[in-house]
Amino acid sequence: MSENITRRGVLRNLAGIVGGILAMPAGRTCKAAVQHGLATSSAPKGYDPTKHKWLMALDVDRCIGCGMCVEACKAENSVPQSNFRTWIERYVITRPKAGSGESRGETFVDSLNGGIAGFKPSLIPKEDILKSFFVPKLCNQCENSPCSQVCPVGATFESPDGVVLVDKNYCIGCGFCIQACPYGCRFFNTTTNTADKCTMCYHRITRGLRPACVEICPSQARIFGDMKNPIADDPLQKFIENNKTQGLKDHLGTKPRVRYAGLDEEVR
Amino acid sequence: MFKMPPQIIRLVLLTIGIVCAYFTARYFLTPASFGQYGHYRGNALQEIASREPYWAGRKTCDTCHGEIVKKLAKAEHQGLSCETCHGPSKVHVDNPEIKLPKMSYSQCVRCHEASPSRPKWLHQITPNKHYTGQVCSECHVPHQPNEVP
Repeated sequence: MSENITRRGVLRNLAGIVGGILAMPAGRTCKAAVQHGLATSSAPKGYDPTKHKWLMALDVDRCIGCGMCVEACKAENSVPQSNFRTWIERYVITRPKAGSGESRGETFVDSLNGGIAGFKPSLIPKEDILKSFFVPKLCNQCENSPCSQVCPVGATFESPDGVVLVDKNYCIGCGFCIQACPYGCRFFNTTTNTADKCTMCYHRITRGLRPACVEICPSQARIFGDMKNPIADDPLQKFIENNKTQGLKDHLGTKPRVRYAGLDEEVR
Repeated sequence: MFKMPPQIIRLVLLTIGIVCAYFTARYFLTPASFGQYGHYRGNALQEIASREPYWAGRKTCDTCHGEIVKKLAKAEHQGLSCETCHGPSKVHVDNPEIKLPKMSYSQCVRCHEASPSRPKWLHQITPNKHYTGQVCSECHVPHQPNEVP
């Protein structure tokens, strides 16, 4: 190619560059207008996610295994029949064999239908049971969540107010997050064809209501609150002060925002 | 003077073209709110929050039935939400004319049936040994469990 710089050519190129730069704000305005038209929202007004930090605590000693929370969650979030955003596990630990020198026998865990209709008496005879208890489970809302780290499209994320959420319009349904969750708290929703999980009832907490499971729990086994705006006599603050709390699988470094008190060593 | 071979110039122009096309497409296709709080769509928060709640919540019941809620707060069932026993009440909140279904006493048993897995602090009964044939309300007031009707 020959070096052939003409005045006309240079001016044309310059005009093109200037025109392009001038067109940028117009493009931006166009884009904003289109996006504004597409998005219709009835979201609660005046909720600033950066001014809250939600936390849930679970008191294992207070769970009576009635399954009301599972039922409440299903109804609130239209969770498909075979999936659960929250569920209850029953642990039955048998007595050790006489003379074995062990502290405990075998451990049996069951959760028929997530415990939605409560639990029928265990098949293990009462005299063989060393101890037995219920453990409510739900998404641990990790601060350092493995599920949002593996999402290839930025569809799942840790919100500024401490909840791990799924953007259903962005999720491509690859299922990486479902495999990444060490707690098995995610599932594939076949109605929406996206990953699905507990949102801590984000549509309720942003309106000043408690999550459905916390609202319906008859024994205050679930305690919920805002760590940035404690209310007078905050039950969550009191609970954290009065109990030795821990998260599930804390050694993984996921930093769960769901804290447990009264956990047995068998619970993972 | 060194002269760039024409095939290289064509290749460079093509590369620049592709890179420009990528950035233009990215500029127009990335949602405005992407990156507002992090590597995700900031608007997703409002979209998730925009769903209507299903359970009305005890606070809502308190606005009309304050007397009952206040009395309940002094008794053993103080921690219970109205809807735990009375069921979803959103329809009743939206239109008070619609009454909630009558209570059934199978609900008492759901929590109070004896089980070795249940904590010791909970009052538990074995339904087929505990005054069979009578309904719970003959001896217990649900709102004030310690009172005798």
